[in-house]
Amino acid sequence: MLRLLAATTLAMGLLAAPVLAQDAKDTLTIDLPNDAATLDPHLQWDTDSYTIYRNIFDNLVTRDAAGEIVPQIATKWSYENDTTLDFDIRDDVTFHDGSKLTADDVAFSINRIIDPALKSPQFSQFSPIDKAEAVSPTKVRITTKSPYPAMLAQLVKLSIVPKAYLEKVGDQGFNAKPVGSGPYKLVDHQQGVRTDLEANADYWRGKPPFAHVTFRAVPDVSTRIADLKTGQADLVRDVPPDQAISLKDDPSVQILSVATERVGYMYMNAQSGPTKDARVRQAIAYAIDQQGLIDALLQGYGKPVNIIGAPPVFGYTDAVEGYAYDPDKARELVKEAGAEGAKIEFLTSPSYNRALVEALQQMINDAGLDTEITSTDQATFLKRRQGDPANAGSVAIGRWSCACQDADGIIYPLFRTGSTWAKYSNPDFDAAVDAARSTLDEAERLKDYKTAYEILRTDVPGIGLYQDFAVYGANPHLTWQPTPNESMFVMDMAWKN
Amino acid sequence: MSVLQPVRRFRPRLPRVPLSIMLVSAIILVIVAVALLAPWIAPADPLRQDLLGRLKPPGTVGRTGVTYLLGTDDLGRDLLSRILYGARVSLSVAVLSVLVSTLVGVTLGMMAGWFRGWTDTVIMRLVDIMLSIPAILLAVLTVAVLGPGFLKLVLVLGLTRWPRYTRVAYAQTLQVANLPYIKASELAGAGAARILFRHVLPNIAGPILIVATAEFGLMILFEAGLSFLGLGIQPPSASWGSIMSVGRQYVERAWWIVAFPGACLFLLVLSVNVLGDWLRDRLDPRSRIR
Amino acid sequence: MLGYALWRLLQAAISVFGVITIVFVVMHFSGDPTLLLVPQGASAEQIETLRHQLGFDQPVWVQYLAYLGGLLQGDFGQSVVQRAPAFGIVLSRLPYTIELAIGALIVAIGVGLPVGMLMATYRGTALERALAAVVLTGQSVPTFLSGILLIMVFAVQLHWLPTSGVGDVRFLVMPSIALGALSMSTFARMTRIAMVDELGKDYVRAALARGLSMRAVVLRHVLRNSAIPVITIAALEIGNLLAGAVIVETVFAWPGIGQLAIQSIQSRDFLVVQVIVLLISFIYVATSVAADFAYAAIDPRIRLAR
Repeated sequence: MLRLLAATTLAMGLLAAPVLAQDAKDTLTIDLPNDAATLDPHLQWDTDSYTIYRNIFDNLVTRDAAGEIVPQIATKWSYENDTTLDFDIRDDVTFHDGSKLTADDVAFSINRIIDPALKSPQFSQFSPIDKAEAVSPTKVRITTKSPYPAMLAQLVKLSIVPKAYLEKVGDQGFNAKPVGSGPYKLVDHQQGVRTDLEANADYWRGKPPFAHVTFRAVPDVSTRIADLKTGQADLVRDVPPDQAISLKDDPSVQILSVATERVGYMYMNAQSGPTKDARVRQAIAYAIDQQGLIDALLQGYGKPVNIIGAPPVFGYTDAVEGYAYDPDKARELVKEAGAEGAKIEFLTSPSYNRALVEALQQMINDAGLDTEITSTDQATFLKRRQGDPANAGSVAIGRWSCACQDADGIIYPLFRTGSTWAKYSNPDFDAAVDAARSTLDEAERLKDYKTAYEILRTDVPGIGLYQDFAVYGANPHLTWQPTPNESMFVMDMAWKN
Repeated sequence: MSVLQPVRRFRPRLPRVPLSIMLVSAIILVIVAVALLAPWIAPADPLRQDLLGRLKPPGTVGRTGVTYLLGTDDLGRDLLSRILYGARVSLSVAVLSVLVSTLVGVTLGMMAGWFRGWTDTVIMRLVDIMLSIPAILLAVLTVAVLGPGFLKLVLVLGLTRWPRYTRVAYAQTLQVANLPYIKASELAGAGAARILFRHVLPNIAGPILIVATAEFGLMILFEAGLSFLGLGIQPPSASWGSIMSVGRQYVERAWWIVAFPGACLFLLVLSVNVLGDWLRDRLDPRSRIR
Repeated sequence: MLGYALWRLLQAAISVFGVITIVFVVMHFSGDPTLLLVPQGASAEQIETLRHQLGFDQPVWVQYLAYLGGLLQGDFGQSVVQRAPAFGIVLSRLPYTIELAIGALIVAIGVGLPVGMLMATYRGTALERALAAVVLTGQSVPTFLSGILLIMVFAVQLHWLPTSGVGDVRFLVMPSIALGALSMSTFARMTRIAMVDELGKDYVRAALARGLSMRAVVLRHVLRNSAIPVITIAALEIGNLLAGAVIVETVFAWPGIGQLAIQSIQSRDFLVVQVIVLLISFIYVATSVAADFAYAAIDPRIRLAR
C-alpha cells in the first residue's frame, strides 16, 4: 500500500508540476540497469550492488577528486614493516543502530571477507591479507602474507560492517536488513524493483544532500533515457555516446562525463590459431584506426591510448610507443606470415559495444584476414575467454578496470602466465609484474611496469584501444563531479535550483 | 438478424481470387524475389562500412558516389542493401523453423489423437513439458549450450515451437476421428498412416495452416527478440529483426534504420496471415461442402 | 471420473518433474556462475576456490540429487547471486507477473473476441479485412520496438503515463498494451474461425430453417461450440504471454518473473531459474488440466473416461 501511495504521489508530482517539484528536492532517483543483488557489502561484486551499498557504508580509506587515497574511517596509517600496516581510526563514528564504530568492527569486516566460510566473491582482492586485529579501540593492524603494494587501493573498497549487530542477526538477517555507518540508511529494499534509502541525519561528515535516495532497476538503456527525459529519474549511468550527443541538445538533461581508469582493449590469442604468429598480432594492431573508432563510434567519449592502461592508473607510462594506424604495413605483415584469409574468431557478448566489434572486424578484414564474430551470452563468453587457449577465440575486446587504479590490477590478471585471462606466456613479462607486485618502492614499481609494457608492445598479446569515459545523464539541477573510478557517492552530489 | 446475412451468401465453388489476395500474394512474391535476387539488385555491399558516413538520412550521396536511397546505419552501411540481404535471413529462418516444427508437431499430434492410449499420454505429456517452459527461456538456454549460428537458430526455434502444432493437430484429430467416412475407411481396413495422411491431414490442414502462418510471423519476431537479447543472427549479417533492434536506439536520431525494415516486416507478416486465412477457406473440406 | 482425474494429476506431476530435470541438465551444460561472480582480476586458484565453495565442481548428477533431496524437504535452495532463498525471491516477483498477465489478457480478449465475432459476421467484406489488418498490427511489430515507441509517445511526448516501473494502475497500461497486442489477433482469428465453422454446420441451417433467429442460434449454440478452440488458444497463450513478458518486462522495467528469469539464466543463478520453471510449469499444467476438463464439459463427444 505504501509503495502504491509513494508511486502515486511521485507520478502525480511529475504530472502536475515538474518545475515546482525542484524547489525542495526531497528524493533523488537513480536508475541503474539492475537492482543490488545483495546489500551485504561483502557478498557481492557487481557494479550495481556496489553503487548502492557504498552509500550505506563507510570505507577505511577513500579517494579524493584527484584520485589520491585519503582518510575516511582511518585517520592515518603507517607501515610497521613490509607486511604490517597500522591504521588509526576515528572514534566519533556510530552505526545506524546507534552503536559505536570501533577497531573491532574494522578488523571483523576484513576477517569476514577472508574467511572462506563466507564464500565472498571479493575474497581474491583481500586474500593476500593474513589477518586483521584490533590492537586498541582506535587502532587496527593488518598483516599480509607478503608485501602487498595494492593493499591501500583495495581497502578503498572495504565496507565496514557492525560486528555486534551482524553476529546478532546472522548473515541472512544482515543481508535483509543491513546496518552501516554511511550517509544513508536502508528504508526498504524490494528485490529487483527498488532500494529506498534515507539520510542519516547524524552522519559524521555532515548532513547528506537529499533526504531520500531511490535506486530503481531499469534494464533497458532506452527506457533509462526516457525516465531521465520525463524526470522520473534524476541520474542514469552508461549513456551510449550516440545518445549522449543527442541529449546534449535537450534542455531537460545534462550530460556529465569523465575520463576513467577503465581502458578499452583488444586481446589476441598468442597461444592458439592464426594469432599465435606474432606478425599476425602485430598486423592486427597496425590495422586498427584508434582515432577513427573514437571519433565515429565513441563520439569523442574516449581518448587514444598507447598501452593497456590509462593515465589515472599507477604504472601508466607514455614512454612506450603505441601502434600507429598503418593498413599497408598490416597487409604486408599478414602476407609475410602467410596468413592471408586466415580465420580469426572474434568472441563477444551483448555486454560489449556491438558497433565497435563490427567496425574492428572490418578493419581486421581489410588487413587480409577473415574475421568471424561469435556472440554468445556473457557466461558463455567468459567460459571460453577464460578457458582453454585452443577454445578462447582469436581476439576479443573488453573494458578493463580493477577499480584500484594500479597496473597490477590490469596487466597482471590479463597477461601473467597462469592467469585465466592470459593466452600468452613470457617469463620476462612475468618477472617484471611479479617484481612490481612484491615491493612497496614506487619508483621500482614504475620501472618494472615500464619494462612490462615494453614487452607487451613487442609481443602484442593485446593492445589498448581507448581510455574509456564514464558518461552519465542527469537532471540539469544536479551538481556532481564524476570520478575516474566510477564511484557514485550521493554524498558528493548537490542540487541547485 | 440482418447483420449476419453475408455469411449465407452464395459462394462460387471455383476459386475466384479476390483483389486483396492478389495484392498480398504480390507482396509476398516481391519479398521472396528480393530475397533471392539480393546479390544482384543490392546497390552496395551490405557489409561495407563507412565510419564517416554513419546515420545518413535517405537520399544522401556517399563519398564513393553511391546514393544511399534508404540512408545508412550506425556503421555507415547502405541500409537498402542490408534490408535486401536481411530479407534472405528473416525469410529463411522463419520458413525453415516453421517447417521443422510443423513436421515434428503435426506428426506427433495426429499420432496422439489417433492412437490415443499410451501414445497419447507420452506425446501429450512431452507437449506439456515443452510448452510449460517459456519458449524464449528455452531458446536462450539452448543457444547458451549449442552456441550461436544460423542452423542452430533454426533448430532452436523449430524444436521449441512444435508443441503448438501438436496441440492443435491433436484436438482437431480427436474431432475428425469421429467423422463417418473416416470411421468407414478404418472399418474397411485402411492402415493408420494412410488414414492419417490421406483423410485426417486434409481435414485438419486448415487449423494447422492458421497456426503455421501465425507462427511464421511469430518466428520472425522471435528471432528479432533474440537479436534484442544479443543472441540472434551473428553480426555482421543481419535480419530485419536485428536491424530493428539496433535501430531502436536511434529512433529519434535516425528513424529510417528502424522504420524501413519495420515496414517490410509488417507487410510480410500481414500478407502471410491474410493469405493463410484465405487459403484455409479453400483447403478446409467443410468449407467446400457449402 | 475420479480415477481419470487422479490419473491426469499423476501425469501432470510427471510433466513438472520432467521440466525441472530437463532444465537442470541443460542449465548445467551451459556453465556455472563462478566467473560472473568473481572480480575480474581473480586468479585461477581463487576462481576454483569459489567454485568449490559453491559446489559447482561436483558432477552434475551429484548436484541434481542434492537438489532433489532438498526439494523433497521443501528446500528450493539459495540464490548464489542474491544469497537469499530462491523460492522467496521468485515469490516476491509473482504478483507483478500476475498483474501484467491479467492486464495483457484483458487487452487481448477485450479486443480480440469482439473483433473476431465481427469478422465472422462480416466474412468476406472489406470490414473484415480492415479489422484483420488492425489486430494484426500488434502482432507484426517486435515488442522491443512497440514498447519504446509507446514510451516515447505517451510518456516522453504527451506526459500521460509514467515511463517505466511499477506503481498504480497507470504504470500497468503500456506494458499491458505492448504484451496484449501480441495475442490480440490470435484471439480474433481463432474466434472468427471457430464461429465460421459453427455457422456452416448443418444444425445451424436446420435451426434457421426451423425459423429460429440468427441471433438466437449464435447465442445458444454457436458461441458455446466455438469455445473449444478459443479455450485451447487461451491456455496456450498463457505460455506465450510469459514468453513475451520477458522482453516487455525488460523494456518497461517491470519486475516480474520474466525479467527475473532472463537475468537468472544470464547470471546462471540455477536455483532461481529452477523455481521459476517449476512455478510456470505448475501453472501451465494446471491450466491445461483445467482446459481438458473444460473440453469434456462443453463437448460430450470427447469422452474422458478410458
